[in-house]
Amino acid sequence: MNSNYKNIISETLKNQQSKYKEIRIEESISTRINYSGVKRENISINSQLGGSVRSMANGGWGFSSFNDISKAPEKMKESIELAKYNTNPSFEIYKNNPVKVEIKPVIKKDPRSIKLKDKIDLLDHYKDIILSQNLIKGCEIIYGDTERKVIFSDSEGNEIEQNFIHVILRIAANSSDGNELLQSGFSIGSLGDFSVVENLDKDVLGCAKKAQNLIKAPKVSGKETTVILDQILAGVFVHEAFGHLSEADNVYENDRLKEILKLGKKFGNNDLNITDGGKIPELRGSYEYDDEGTPSTKTPLIREGVLVGRLHSKETASKMSEKVTGNARAISFAFPPIVRMTNTIIENGESTKEDIIEDTKEGLYVKNWYGGMTEHEMFTFSSAETYRIENGEIKETLRPVKLSGNLFTTLKNIDGIANDLEINQGGGCGKGGQMPLPVSNGSPHIRINKCLVSSG
Amino acid sequence: MDKIENFLKKNFDEYEIYQEKNEYKSISFESNNLKEISAKQSQGFAVRAKRDAKITFSSSSNYDLEKFQSHFLELSNYSIDSNIQFPKKSNSANTIIFNKKDFNISNNYFIDKLKNGIDSIIKKFPNALCDAGFNLAIGQTKLSNSNSLELEIDESLISFFISAQIINGNDMLNIYKYDTSVSNISEEKISLMTESLKEDLSIAQNISSTPKKGCPVIFTPHGLYQTILSPLLISFSGTNLSKNLSSLCDREGEQIFDKKITIYDDPHIDFSPSSRNYDGEGIPTKQNMLIQNGKFISGIYDLKTASESSKKTTGSAGRSLHSTPSPTTSNIVMKNGENNFTNIIKDIDEGILVDHLLGAGQGNELSGDFSANISLGYKIEKGKIVGRVKNTMISGNAFKALSEIEAISSNKESLYGSLFLPFLQTNNVEISS
Repeated sequence: MNSNYKNIISETLKNQQSKYKEIRIEESISTRINYSGVKRENISINSQLGGSVRSMANGGWGFSSFNDISKAPEKMKESIELAKYNTNPSFEIYKNNPVKVEIKPVIKKDPRSIKLKDKIDLLDHYKDIILSQNLIKGCEIIYGDTERKVIFSDSEGNEIEQNFIHVILRIAANSSDGNELLQSGFSIGSLGDFSVVENLDKDVLGCAKKAQNLIKAPKVSGKETTVILDQILAGVFVHEAFGHLSEADNVYENDRLKEILKLGKKFGNNDLNITDGGKIPELRGSYEYDDEGTPSTKTPLIREGVLVGRLHSKETASKMSEKVTGNARAISFAFPPIVRMTNTIIENGESTKEDIIEDTKEGLYVKNWYGGMTEHEMFTFSSAETYRIENGEIKETLRPVKLSGNLFTTLKNIDGIANDLEINQGGGCGKGGQMPLPVSNGSPHIRINKCLVSSG
Repeated sequence: MDKIENFLKKNFDEYEIYQEKNEYKSISFESNNLKEISAKQSQGFAVRAKRDAKITFSSSSNYDLEKFQSHFLELSNYSIDSNIQFPKKSNSANTIIFNKKDFNISNNYFIDKLKNGIDSIIKKFPNALCDAGFNLAIGQTKLSNSNSLELEIDESLISFFISAQIINGNDMLNIYKYDTSVSNISEEKISLMTESLKEDLSIAQNISSTPKKGCPVIFTPHGLYQTILSPLLISFSGTNLSKNLSSLCDREGEQIFDKKITIYDDPHIDFSPSSRNYDGEGIPTKQNMLIQNGKFISGIYDLKTASESSKKTTGSAGRSLHSTPSPTTSNIVMKNGENNFTNIIKDIDEGILVDHLLGAGQGNELSGDFSANISLGYKIEKGKIVGRVKNTMISGNAFKALSEIEAISSNKESLYGSLFLPFLQTNNVEISS
């Protein structure tokens, strides 16, 4: 660990007035390259340094963040003063065996070793592929790589330094016949692997073709229907429809919700199994320790349709008398850690994609994502591609749709799970103003026999 | 910053330095109890520099100037074509956007206000769980450029929110109220919001049958913004106009909307946190008419998008530290109609009042299309609001929805401190459930 930080950290944690205190220091540097319309719009390198301290008193928290690291000790005093305003019953915070570790970044192909010129040449090439197609008006390309060093230390004796390298790419093509403007796109990402954004010519061309096809595609009118979700969209579905309600900070102080989300309760059919875990290696939502210094785990959430677990921070685990899961995450030093998902997965079932489609008389095949949101038990998410299914066959392209449902009915309506699990790493999650947090979602193809859809 | 300025003078023809320094405080209650008080301080700078009609941008919050300079020179090899001219200083309006003293009001004052608000809700609805909070911000930006512009702008913001959740069986009802201002939110306003939240909770506890397809649809000011205005305004942005991605390109003066529609962007409303006297590039701001009696008047532009569209900047550059400026709206004001809301609904036999959506803004917004789940909507029966509708979706197109208007209310509400909107009834939307 950088020795300058070491002194500041020990001075910051020395103050004895609080029961529990922690400090995080973060350095990051990111490169972003954006294209919009027909040309490169922006390229920048942003570097950041900052820290934050958090302390507990009277059953509540005080938090203070700053850019000037030398101020950390006085900020700790401030956070303790702020924490003292709380008057809640105090609680015992979960204690792990303190560790002193330095975790190196996962690196497969290091984006830092690629020259800026080569990154630009690659993206220019993708842009040219899109723009060379008929009826294409422009493209949207967002490339980003970020190197992050996060140092965490607390009054329990933890000293953890973690390093991450993230790569993301979103590519979209805009088409128009002169009247309407339509868009098709895809997103990918990785932990420490630039090669995921290389050799995408086929995908980029496919994206332009899909945008062209949308021009003639008819809109779906609002209705309840059977939908088959591809792996990517089913991943977004599990994140929105179930994942957020498995975050214990939504539940731990809410007696009614505790009853509704009681472990042991049946939420889906026997073939439904859902897991979340930062411990699942080398994905964008993966890490060794969360932002409270708790080791990451792999948490079964649903087993054979039954709710068996939820995601916790130190506080929520302690207050619900359940085990910590290492899911307290902060998007940066400027925010306190809150309970978040990591890599959220619907496990493989026994059907095949082909069986599920063949078995569907009438419905929609929906692929790829545009977005998703949850508000308590309700959720919506949107497809980027939609096809009509008739008598077990995939028919013509339709415009994208928005799908909407309710936790209590929609999970039970899953009546087909294939065995072709894939994980998508192109997403980011938002909660409590902290966005986009790196996560990944995965699923095999699934069928929901009744889902409310409307034209997206 | 002298070191950076010397570096820029040596290596570039023109430049702009943007500096930001902010302080925040937030006091938040969760599930009826004080949860966390936090303080934040942030600072950083960003530079744009031009050489041979090409522009380079970078930002930093770590003040490692040597590294910054080497990155900046590397980036300048891949700079972006640009014809913009950094402006000289001109005189601006004098709208009130800053109040220093309210930032220093004691934490106990805010804690009391939040506690009282929550208590008054729990008194009437003992099973409600409330979240509430105050967020305070105070900030200083400095903008200087090679055309001898030097600006120092102080801004402040205080926002208040209160929300309540009531769970009944598998039904979860959530209602949320929010307001913001440059200075403290008055006690009267807080109690009005709390009272209106209680009223909404009373009505919303009754769950009504889903209205039939094709029934009249009325939007509350919030529903109007979320459903229709938010996708519509995307087409007014210079970002999309300059790239020919907006369906409004080259249609200035054309009658596109219903004659009842007039919408303008007003940066000069005192005490609104979205007001500004200068924009993010140092241009004095002005009122911009967007739609007048149904005619498209103008989009909103910053220097870059204006230059790419052969237009003049409308003084609409917004910016945050780590991004280049881009056009943003300030306060959006819609002209009211003649009939008040009660009168508009009095003859409606069966209809729906749309207030909050879930999943808005996640589709093809450039076309003006919208589609979302109605997370808070009310049933109107025989001229009265009788209860809440559930599991209903709304979809349509913002341009079509505003092309034929049934009614606009005479009463308006202010939302988020920056939107001043009436209730609106249109028939061109689809409801499904």
